[in-house]
Amino acid sequence: MRTGTTISAAAHVGVLLWAVLVFDVKPLENAGVESIPVDFVSATEFSKMTEGVRNAQKKEAPKPLVEKQGEKKPVMEQVEKLTEKQEIVTPKEATPPPPTPEPKKAEPKVEPAPKPEKAEQKNPEPKVDPIAEALKKEEKQKKPEEKPTEAKTAEAKPVPLPQKKPPQKPQPKFDPAQVAALLDKRDPQRHAATGDVVNRTASLGAPGANSPELSQSELDALRARLMQLWNPPIGIRNAGDMVIRVRVLLRPDGTLAGPPSVLTSGRGPMFESARDSAVRAIFRGQPFDMLKPQTYETWKDIEVTFDPRDMLFRG
Amino acid sequence: MSGWDSDSMSLKLTRRRMLALGAGMTAGAFAGLHAHHAFAALKLDVTQGNVQPMPIALPDFVGGSPADSEVSRNVTGVITNNLRRSGLFAPIDPQAYIEKVSNPDAVPRFPDWRAINAQALVTGRVTRQPDGRLKAEFRLWDVFAGQQQAGQQYFTTPDNWRRIGHIISDAIYERLTGEKGYFDTRVVFIDESGPKERRIKRLTIMDQDGANVRYLTRGDELVLTPRFSPSTQEITYMAFGQGDPRVLLLNIETGQREVVGNFPGMTFAPRFSPDGQRVIMSLQQGSNANLFVMDLRSKAVSRLTQTPAIDTAPSYSPDGTRICFESDRGGSQQIYVMSASGGNAQRISFGEGTYSTPVWSPRGDTIAFTKQGGGRFGIGIMRTDGSGERLLTDGFHNEGPTFAPNGRVLMFFRDPGGNSGPSLFTIDITGRNEQRVPTPSFASDPAWSPLLS
Repeated sequence: MRTGTTISAAAHVGVLLWAVLVFDVKPLENAGVESIPVDFVSATEFSKMTEGVRNAQKKEAPKPLVEKQGEKKPVMEQVEKLTEKQEIVTPKEATPPPPTPEPKKAEPKVEPAPKPEKAEQKNPEPKVDPIAEALKKEEKQKKPEEKPTEAKTAEAKPVPLPQKKPPQKPQPKFDPAQVAALLDKRDPQRHAATGDVVNRTASLGAPGANSPELSQSELDALRARLMQLWNPPIGIRNAGDMVIRVRVLLRPDGTLAGPPSVLTSGRGPMFESARDSAVRAIFRGQPFDMLKPQTYETWKDIEVTFDPRDMLFRG
Repeated sequence: MSGWDSDSMSLKLTRRRMLALGAGMTAGAFAGLHAHHAFAALKLDVTQGNVQPMPIALPDFVGGSPADSEVSRNVTGVITNNLRRSGLFAPIDPQAYIEKVSNPDAVPRFPDWRAINAQALVTGRVTRQPDGRLKAEFRLWDVFAGQQQAGQQYFTTPDNWRRIGHIISDAIYERLTGEKGYFDTRVVFIDESGPKERRIKRLTIMDQDGANVRYLTRGDELVLTPRFSPSTQEITYMAFGQGDPRVLLLNIETGQREVVGNFPGMTFAPRFSPDGQRVIMSLQQGSNANLFVMDLRSKAVSRLTQTPAIDTAPSYSPDGTRICFESDRGGSQQIYVMSASGGNAQRISFGEGTYSTPVWSPRGDTIAFTKQGGGRFGIGIMRTDGSGERLLTDGFHNEGPTFAPNGRVLMFFRDPGGNSGPSLFTIDITGRNEQRVPTPSFASDPAWSPLLS
């Protein structure tokens, strides 16, 4: 009997696990697949995109903004942000702690709103001006300098910032490194300022949910690019049977994250040439800059089917 | 009893563990299944491509010694010319090359080749061996994938360097297109020289690219319709000597000739069977012509058709089981298909105009023909059931298609009329890439050999 119960218990657990895993996620996916977003595109824009994007002017303001956000999404982003700030401020010693906390705030939608307000109130008016002055006058700098650094750390930690300021002021030392930290401070402010723009796409992190979806025009432009570059061996016998499926993993900038993996298996010189022509088209097509970074979640993993059926002779 | 209990307990524990393990594995399996469903969020179908010649870089092969550098350059030239003429490749101007290849065994600097849009790169070396032979080696690189696709080496006598070039061309062609090449082949044709009213026609053989021309007959008799044996170095053709025109057999290597069969009338339109052991031809009987086949070893002759019409231009399917031929039994010249042993013939051509000189593709999937109508002659192909007819070229006079051994390219002759004469052309069976074949003078009736190697 006990074995019976254990068997049934184990089976139930298995079924429950299965149910949880499957039923939990599928509906989200389905919702994502069903909806077809539509873009209004002018005729000239469309022709430019379908031409192959050589001439298209695609670099717009939103791109850089989104890149930053894209990095913020995953939990691992902390490290990436550090590197970003270091690059910007490279000559001076960047203080890592302030940037790292920010991403955590970015993830929840509720938090970002309060931050910018605080930042605007505190930093721009009183702090920035004093800092600039302080840089010029070394003696007076000590006190104001310390304040901003504390403020940064404070930003990282949610609300209590204003209260902490008074106790921290007394620190007397002046280091060039700390001056650098002061200057560094302005970058985080700018990041905060972009937060308003960021909010538009704040839901990027959830693959299925409300994130912006790949528009039909982007998809067509991608298809047009591949059609332009795909040079299939159509003269071979049974060329119509040479259907090649390739899985492509992309980076947010539209370049390949690795060599495309061919999902179709086959042997022989005909298969090899068909396979190579498909892979070559993808290599040559990068960067796929017709795909907007906002929709990265939808196109970071693409399965492309190269099927020459429309090219063969009919009669 | 207590001992038994403890035993059962331990047993149960292990069982329970196993069950737990099993449940875990079940869950894991389902999770894996689920993950599989999840991947590749976006699916895209690409059903149209852009067929264009593939840009390929062919830097001169490296010579083992300064004396070899000329041979190396010549071999590279042969390969470049072959690939360009195929229409499937666009060799890049060497002036554009950024990297100078000095060691063909080293991995090339792919970014340098990507910069000039090369999709494939061929490097190689030709060296003279101590025993006097030439050693030729090559490597084919996929520039965008950054890896080697093929590599071979060959040995040959120094005067055979052109063939080395052809063989390497075939290897490159096969690797990149997926089909056997056709560069290491020869063409036999009728060389026509002299003024129009006194044309001298000689049976001639040359490499597929027009090099190494050799005359096989002296020009003192009229020769027509040479055909290559698919398996031996033999040619069959029709000659007007003394008496009736006859079908002859010629061994290219020995120059030995013999008449095929001993028939009471004119024989014409000969062609080998795929195994090279039989010759099929037409025999004139009064105002009619019928098809006969003769076994070259036993000399046994069998009759395939018996009609009050002209049946001619027979051609075997590559598996040797069927024959296509032209016949006017229905009133006008049309193409018919029947079993290789005779029997009922089925008409497959139904377009406007008349059809002649059908040739079965070595691939087996199509039949090429000459189509006449409205004062024009065109070269076309159709499937073996007569469907999918397409004209590849059309004009005042095009005639006599012959397939390259890979079934991908057709050669034919074109006569512009007037006082000039015919010349040879090739065209891809897709209808693209028509190319003139260089010949010393006018030329007609080409026949493509099988691959030499």
